[in-house]
Amino acid sequence: MAGIESRVPSIWTTGWTDILNTGTWRNAIAVHQKRPAPCHGGCPVDGEIPVWVQQVRNEDFKAAWETLVENNPLPAVIGRTCHRPCEGVCNRAEYDGAVSINALEQYVGDLAIRKGWVFPVPPIELDQHVAVIGGGPAGLSCAYQLRRKGFRVTLFDANPELGGVLRYGVPEYRLPKKTVAAETRRIVDLGVNVISGQKLTGKDLGKIEQEYSAIFIAFGAHRPKSLPQFPDDADRVLDGIAFLRSVRLGSPAELGQKVVVIGGGSVAMDVAGSALRLGRQAEIIALEGREVMPAPEDEIEDVVAEGVRLIDGAMVKTVEAISKSLRLHCIKVKLDPDTPIGVIRPLEVSGTEFTLEADTVILAVGQDPELADWEDQVRVAKGMVEIDADYRTSRQGIFAAGDVASAERFVSTAVGEGRKAANSIAQYLGQPPALRDVTAIGAAQEPDVAFADINTFYFPPRDRSERDKVAAEVRKASFAEIRLGLTDEQALVQATRCFSCGACLECDNCVYFCPDMAIVKDSTSPLYYKVLEQYCKGCGCCLEECPRGAMGVREETK
Amino acid sequence: MSYQIDEQKIFNSGHAACPGCSEALAIRFIINTLGSDAIAVVPPSCIAIISGPQPLSSMRIPVYQTTLEASAASAAGIKRALLSKGNDHTNVVAIAGDGGTYDIGFQALSAAAERNEDIIYICLDNEGYMNTGSQKSSATPSRAYTTSTPAGKLTPKKNMAAIMAAHNIPYMATATTGYPDDLARKVARAMKIKGGLRFIVVLTPCLTGWGIPDNAGPKVSRLAVESGVFPLYEVENGQSYTLNYGPKGLPVADYVTRQKRYRHLSAEDIEFIQKEVDQNWERLQVKF
Repeated sequence: MAGIESRVPSIWTTGWTDILNTGTWRNAIAVHQKRPAPCHGGCPVDGEIPVWVQQVRNEDFKAAWETLVENNPLPAVIGRTCHRPCEGVCNRAEYDGAVSINALEQYVGDLAIRKGWVFPVPPIELDQHVAVIGGGPAGLSCAYQLRRKGFRVTLFDANPELGGVLRYGVPEYRLPKKTVAAETRRIVDLGVNVISGQKLTGKDLGKIEQEYSAIFIAFGAHRPKSLPQFPDDADRVLDGIAFLRSVRLGSPAELGQKVVVIGGGSVAMDVAGSALRLGRQAEIIALEGREVMPAPEDEIEDVVAEGVRLIDGAMVKTVEAISKSLRLHCIKVKLDPDTPIGVIRPLEVSGTEFTLEADTVILAVGQDPELADWEDQVRVAKGMVEIDADYRTSRQGIFAAGDVASAERFVSTAVGEGRKAANSIAQYLGQPPALRDVTAIGAAQEPDVAFADINTFYFPPRDRSERDKVAAEVRKASFAEIRLGLTDEQALVQATRCFSCGACLECDNCVYFCPDMAIVKDSTSPLYYKVLEQYCKGCGCCLEECPRGAMGVREETK
Repeated sequence: MSYQIDEQKIFNSGHAACPGCSEALAIRFIINTLGSDAIAVVPPSCIAIISGPQPLSSMRIPVYQTTLEASAASAAGIKRALLSKGNDHTNVVAIAGDGGTYDIGFQALSAAAERNEDIIYICLDNEGYMNTGSQKSSATPSRAYTTSTPAGKLTPKKNMAAIMAAHNIPYMATATTGYPDDLARKVARAMKIKGGLRFIVVLTPCLTGWGIPDNAGPKVSRLAVESGVFPLYEVENGQSYTLNYGPKGLPVADYVTRQKRYRHLSAEDIEFIQKEVDQNWERLQVKF
């Protein structure tokens, strides 16, 4: 008996399995990583959208505003006017509707104005002095970024007040003057020297060059395009931009009762909406079908709801003057699908002729930069100032961006270009490239988070709610703003809807779903977690259970 | 939303479960919730493999490996021995597979429930004898392939939850790994209710036996819940029913088409399973 007992050890278990190296089983290991969100890639100002939206969610509104104005000093303005490519690529669009990013931006921008938040004083003051010509979105953005870097900046603008197209183009009911004034004022207060009411021409360039270290040209595009079929009849055929300007200046151009607007872009919608508010009857003729018109769908929807009649996919062939009015002979068209990108060739659909009567025709078919006296100063191509990828013109020390140099006519694109041009100017003047631009290039190699990378179980469906609008019947009676900003509650709901694609929120799912306890929290890591290589078997549950695609996988070959 | 689960470090890394194993994940939340004042009883199963190759252990508590038919009896014996030594605090938990619960250990379990032994019994149900290469058990659902039902099983899964609730034990719950907080909460609840047999059946998808990718365990387990195949609920004293997560209107096809054990199914087979699931839910629904 005694002999048998001695063969039985008193303790059967001598240690724990954590001395084993189950990590040798794997051929790939999970890695935490910050991956780019599609909204960021789509943003014309390279906005850190997932970052500031989460700051809104955490109710840290000041921080959200500070993140926003890193890239865009006009959030209240852009929150009303952006064409919203971010929402077009938002991963939530495939689920229950894109996050209302633009409305959130307006919310934060408006809050900053109400709270009187100001930009911090530049950390250094440099001697170099930059002239910015044009106080529209591109010029304001560039002036702001240069000032933040410490450069002296003088901003020249032809108009009495700053804002360019924001102040003299976009109508009050879409963008109130007081919003533009508040956000431009804040940029000026940063120490920008403004010389307004003075139109510079190409002839002044030599003189400015002597006084300034660099020049940024961004005076926009103001020369209206015309259509040959319309007579040169200043009483009955108006230019859309001039009309909007007259409305903005408080002395609207004379209009007949029946107004026909030609064009399918934002300007055409603004013209029609303004004519309607002046008590006129308005119709729009657009060459493109409604789905491919350049104006964003919601702008089209707005004017149609207000009572504007939209005739899409049609063009005016000839114009006949009859007594006081014009008779437009029109025909329905289809766009030739075989044309190269950027070229529009309408094909007439025979038998669809119709006529329209108009007391006033307003052309809103685009505009070109006014470059008559600039052509001998800087190289001009395709009717625009020619620039390279760094916004340099053909002449040393002179940079250009915005509508004067780009065919992409969006205010937010102009703001983005103004910022990038400011970085180029700073480099030209001897400053090192901005760190975040360098890291942004590195980050861009990682693919955007796709909808398939999102684990929707963690996001209960919640309908997209846009800003409320004043009822069409009410809003068409005045120029008061039609879109009501988000309420506090709506803003938080929107921020909560954000998937935060590729940006970890420390939910700990990767920790909890690891059957091997191979992921631990690590407060010293910028990515919050550490993968224990000794144990990770490479199953990928952490990746799958990460709600937001903030993890990837690294293959291992042994 | 994010989980907040209070875990003690009882379950160790370095165990021998397959990569992505849901059973290991379930054991993690069970053992780490039970804490150090517990003794586990494990019959032959994957759980025995996971608990450690001798002389190492993955669980920092005493683990007794018993015979396949005797988990409940062994646990009851250990508990009574502890009580006779004056220890009324240590939790004794049997953790067995579906083979050791639905089939081979059923008599011992039913008897322990009838005697209302003061133990916790947790069944990690992966719907077959997966440790021996996927043979059918009475937990294998209708039409599922196993090596012993090559054309699909002709009879439905035994309703163990209903059977155990019918023993009028103090606590019966269903849980699954896709809802780890719910699982941990149910284990904590079972610990709190003392003085009788507490039973939890945990659906733990078997990656190889079900034919699903290594990363899909939690997801498939959630589909089982959302399609109504495996509703998560609790029953106290055989009469008080609480629904935690029920079907969300997902067709059962969304669940079965992700698993290779169902890949032989025809549209009619899926329709058949759908009807069975709907019927089961109708029968259960009235109890909440």
